[in-house]
Amino acid sequence: MNCEEINLWLDTLLAEIEEIEVTRKSERRVRVDVPASSLPALLELLKGKASYVHLSAISCVDWPDDEEFELVYHCWSYEAKSLLSAHTRIPRNSAQEFAHYVSVYDIYKPAAFFERDIYEMYGIYFESSPYMEKFILTEWNGPPPMRKDFDAEQYVNDTFNWADYHPQWLQELEEDGGGIAVRPEDIRL
Amino acid sequence: MSKIGNIPVNAQAGKKRTNPLAGVFDELVQFCQSRSMFMLHYCTGCGAIELPPAMTSRFDMERLGIQPMVTPRQADILLVTGYVSVKTLKRVILTYEQMQSPKYVIGICSCTVNGGMYWQSYATAKVLNEYLPVDVYIAGCMPRPEAVIEGMRRLMRNIEEGKGHAWKDYFQRYDYYLGNQQHLFGDDWQTPTDIIGEARHYGLETEQTYGEHTRILEQHQQPLEPHKMRIKF
Repeated sequence: MNCEEINLWLDTLLAEIEEIEVTRKSERRVRVDVPASSLPALLELLKGKASYVHLSAISCVDWPDDEEFELVYHCWSYEAKSLLSAHTRIPRNSAQEFAHYVSVYDIYKPAAFFERDIYEMYGIYFESSPYMEKFILTEWNGPPPMRKDFDAEQYVNDTFNWADYHPQWLQELEEDGGGIAVRPEDIRL
Repeated sequence: MSKIGNIPVNAQAGKKRTNPLAGVFDELVQFCQSRSMFMLHYCTGCGAIELPPAMTSRFDMERLGIQPMVTPRQADILLVTGYVSVKTLKRVILTYEQMQSPKYVIGICSCTVNGGMYWQSYATAKVLNEYLPVDVYIAGCMPRPEAVIEGMRRLMRNIEEGKGHAWKDYFQRYDYYLGNQQHLFGDDWQTPTDIIGEARHYGLETEQTYGEHTRILEQHQQPLEPHKMRIKF
C-alpha cells in the first residue's frame, strides 16, 4: 500500500465517523475537529489502525472569549508521510483553579511530557497522567503564566524594580529641547 | 610561631601607615591583580556568543592577562552574559558565593542592566545589582568584542586604582542583597555558603550586614550536611 492509498483509505474512514469534521489541508496535512469526549478513541484508532505512531506535540491555545481551551494533538505517520492534527476544545473553568481533561498517556507515552508542560503553563489537569509535578517553572508560585488572563506586565511591575538611568548626555539633550520622545516608563504604564 | 600571634601595627586613626613601603607594596599587588585575571563566564543569554572571538585569536583577551577558568573557586571575574531568569539567578548566586575574594562581577548585555528586551517577562530578574554587587556593566544588545574588552579594561583600571570594591559591598550590605533574593526565592532561601561568617573573617561586617532578612535566614536556616556518597552497581 503506498502512501496515497493510505491517505485515501484514511479519508474514507474518517468521513464515515459521525461528529468529527475532517479537512484535508494538503497532500500531507489533515485537520480533524473532534469533540473532547471522542478524542482518545480517535487517537486509539489512528495509532492502532492507521499508522499514526508518533505524537510529535500537544499544543494548547487559550480562547478566553469563548471560555475554552483548544488542544491540538499532532500525530505523524511514517507510512502515509503525513501530519494529522486533531483539534478539540474543552471548557476553560475560569471559576475553578484548573480545567480538566483526560490523559492520552496510555496511547502515546510521550504525551506525559507535553501534558506536564501544559499543566504548568495553562493549568489544565490531565487525569491519569503519570507526572503532574512542576517541570520547568520550579521557582514559580503564581498562576499559569501562558493563560491570556495573566497580565505579565502587571506582574513584572509589581515584582521587580527598574534601574534608574538618566545620564549626563541625556540631560544635556533634554536641556536643548530634545531627548527620548516616549520614555520607557510611559510605555510600561 | 603560633606562640607569637599577630604583631600589632600601631597606626593613628586618619593617618597613613608608618611603613613607607606599605603603599608601594599595595600598588604592586593591585597592579599584579589587575594583570592576572581568571574569568568564569556564566553564559546565560545571547551575549555569550561574543566571548569566543573576544577570548581567542582575533581579539585575544589573553594579551590583557584575562583567561577563561572552568571553576568558580579559582576564578576572579564572574561574567554574566545576558538575561538571568529567576531559576538561573539562584545558580549565579551560588556560583558567586563560591568564588574567593577579591571577586568581580561583570554584567554584559542590556538584559542584566534593566531587563533588556525581556523586561516584560515574568521569568527574568531585571536589575542584576540588586542581587549581586556588579563592578562593571557592559551595555549593548549584544556588545561587540571591542566593547567587552573595553569593559574589561575599565575593570582593570578600577582594580589598579584600588576602586574595585564591589565584592566588599556584598559583605557590608548583605542584608540588602539577601532581602532582594528572598523577595524572589521565598523566605526559606539559603545558600551553602556562610556569608556572615566570611564577613567576620574578612573584617567587613557592618551594621547593614545584619537586619530583618538575616534574621529570617537564621529562623529558616538548616544545618548543612555533606552529601552521602553512594556507589551503585
